Amino acid sequence: MVPPKPVPKTKPRRGIFHAFKGNLEALMIGVKYFIDPKRFTLIYPKEYNKLREGYRGFIVLIKQKCINCASCARICPAAAMKMIRIPEVDEKTGKQKVKNWPVIDYRRCIFCGYCVDVCPTEALYHVPYHDVVYQNMAEMYLDLESFQKPPEYKAAEEGIPVRYIVDEERGLVKVPYKEGEK
Amino acid sequence: MSGFVSTRGQVGFNDLKIPGAWSRKIGKDLYEVFIGPQHPGSGHMRIIIRIDGDVIVEADPDMGYVHRTMEKLGEGREWIKGIPLYERMAIHDACNVTLPYVRAVEQLLGIEAPLRAKYLRVLLCEINRIAAYLYGFGIFGVFVGHSTMYMWPFGDREVWIELADWLTGARLTHSYPVFGGVRRDVPADFTNQLRKAIRYMRKRLEEYRKIYVDNPVIRARLEDVGVIPKNLAIELGITGPNLRASGVLYDVRYNDPYEVYDELDFEIPVFQEGDALARVWQRVEEIKQSLRILEQVADWLDKHPREPILHDRFWKTAPPLHKKIFETEGRAKLVPLYALLKVPKGKAYARAETARGEITYYVESDGGQKPYRVRIVSASARNAIVFKYILPGHRVMDLPTIYGSIDYFPPEADR
Repeated sequence: MVPPKPVPKTKPRRGIFHAFKGNLEALMIGVKYFIDPKRFTLIYPKEYNKLREGYRGFIVLIKQKCINCASCARICPAAAMKMIRIPEVDEKTGKQKVKNWPVIDYRRCIFCGYCVDVCPTEALYHVPYHDVVYQNMAEMYLDLESFQKPPEYKAAEEGIPVRYIVDEERGLVKVPYKEGEK
Repeated sequence: MSGFVSTRGQVGFNDLKIPGAWSRKIGKDLYEVFIGPQHPGSGHMRIIIRIDGDVIVEADPDMGYVHRTMEKLGEGREWIKGIPLYERMAIHDACNVTLPYVRAVEQLLGIEAPLRAKYLRVLLCEINRIAAYLYGFGIFGVFVGHSTMYMWPFGDREVWIELADWLTGARLTHSYPVFGGVRRDVPADFTNQLRKAIRYMRKRLEEYRKIYVDNPVIRARLEDVGVIPKNLAIELGITGPNLRASGVLYDVRYNDPYEVYDELDFEIPVFQEGDALARVWQRVEEIKQSLRILEQVADWLDKHPREPILHDRFWKTAPPLHKKIFETEGRAKLVPLYALLKVPKGKAYARAETARGEITYYVESDGGQKPYRVRIVSASARNAIVFKYILPGHRVMDLPTIYGSIDYFPPEADR
């Protein structure tokens, strides 16, 4: 392998016809994009960006898999994930006992995904969207019930899904999303 | 506005009414103008200039408006929680900014990331670098009144953000490197998309040259403006592309190679002129070199099979479920040990080349779960002093040009 090497450079020299040539080049490129503009604006309520699998969006708990280990609460850098104590009846013995369950505070969450990655049983997962609306601040502090349901995704109900792909000629291109794509 | 034109003394205190700027008379034919911190052209900082007519006599950069006590906050958090925190210095350059912290802690732990993880770190670092340069171009473009150059780089930056999003799962705050490796492997078909983006960007840089960098109007405004001579650049201790544009060969990737930069074939462009135009060209050339690095990284990743991307110390204790998820999804799950990590007592020092220059971390551990001290010297903090020495002698109209060409980023400087 070759290590990096320094290369001295200078600005391109200004030729005699630079003023003429430079202006012409700039105008030509302006005309080119006037005729054939590159646009990839998302017309948001009418269409929405179908994000790829693996996007770190809102977090959902699968309670059946949770082993109450509190790893997620311990690793959370923003202290958004917290363990709450909920009394319940043990099915086998019928005794009263208190268990710790994780809940999330979306006022604090920074979507780093550490909790999902640290969970030893995959009891947490990300939903691939982030545009969720809450009516007030108190709603953003989820309880155990609402933490188990994926948040309501209004944009998906009203809009059509699109996806951005990289194109060699046009950069980012907006294409309609096909079912089953990852 | 009338107060600005008249310098005869009948203008009252605080008479100038430009949004975000504020002025007062401090002597005969001498006005003090406060630019920022809410001025759209100054970011979160204030530059206090004293002007005689239209000529800047004295300039005083006044920073610290977005200081977030980041170093102190880091002392109260566990080691791994420092990564998302320090990332907030420059979110569009997240991997470059946090990498030296991760490397310093790795030094203390006595571990090193696997080779594949190193290549993946370089991959994201270069994607971030290109995105950060394009961000700088956009801001610079709108500073000199070229709104096309504002729209285009911001549009093309989306390409790189989209790739970073696909790789890490987040557009900006990736939190990608962790101690002993990285969090995700490349998705299938990622390298092909990356190659398309590289070819697209090469074409695009030629168009940037035509409409902006070599445009006679822009050239007239940038050429021989804000010249930082070589000796002054060394004396002030500025860093990054600004230093290299003044003819000094200093790049951490070259002088003190980290990760796999010593195995990659790329050039360090060094411009001699040191003016605003040379600084723009410097960044254009550096994007080209970053594209070259990315090409080599994509080839390497294609040729080599998947291997664990976390160090054995963490990966060997991983349960079978973690290994299954890594094989199917390419996602390296973290072991719970990360949250309770105890770093051996010691001091470590690491540095990296970010898009704006050298960033250094000094990390001290007392053997506990939290760092004893993390000292950060970021690139923008070192570049800010330039304004004091470069602005005097220029006209007020050159201030945005110089500000934009330095590519100063206040949140990174203030920490």
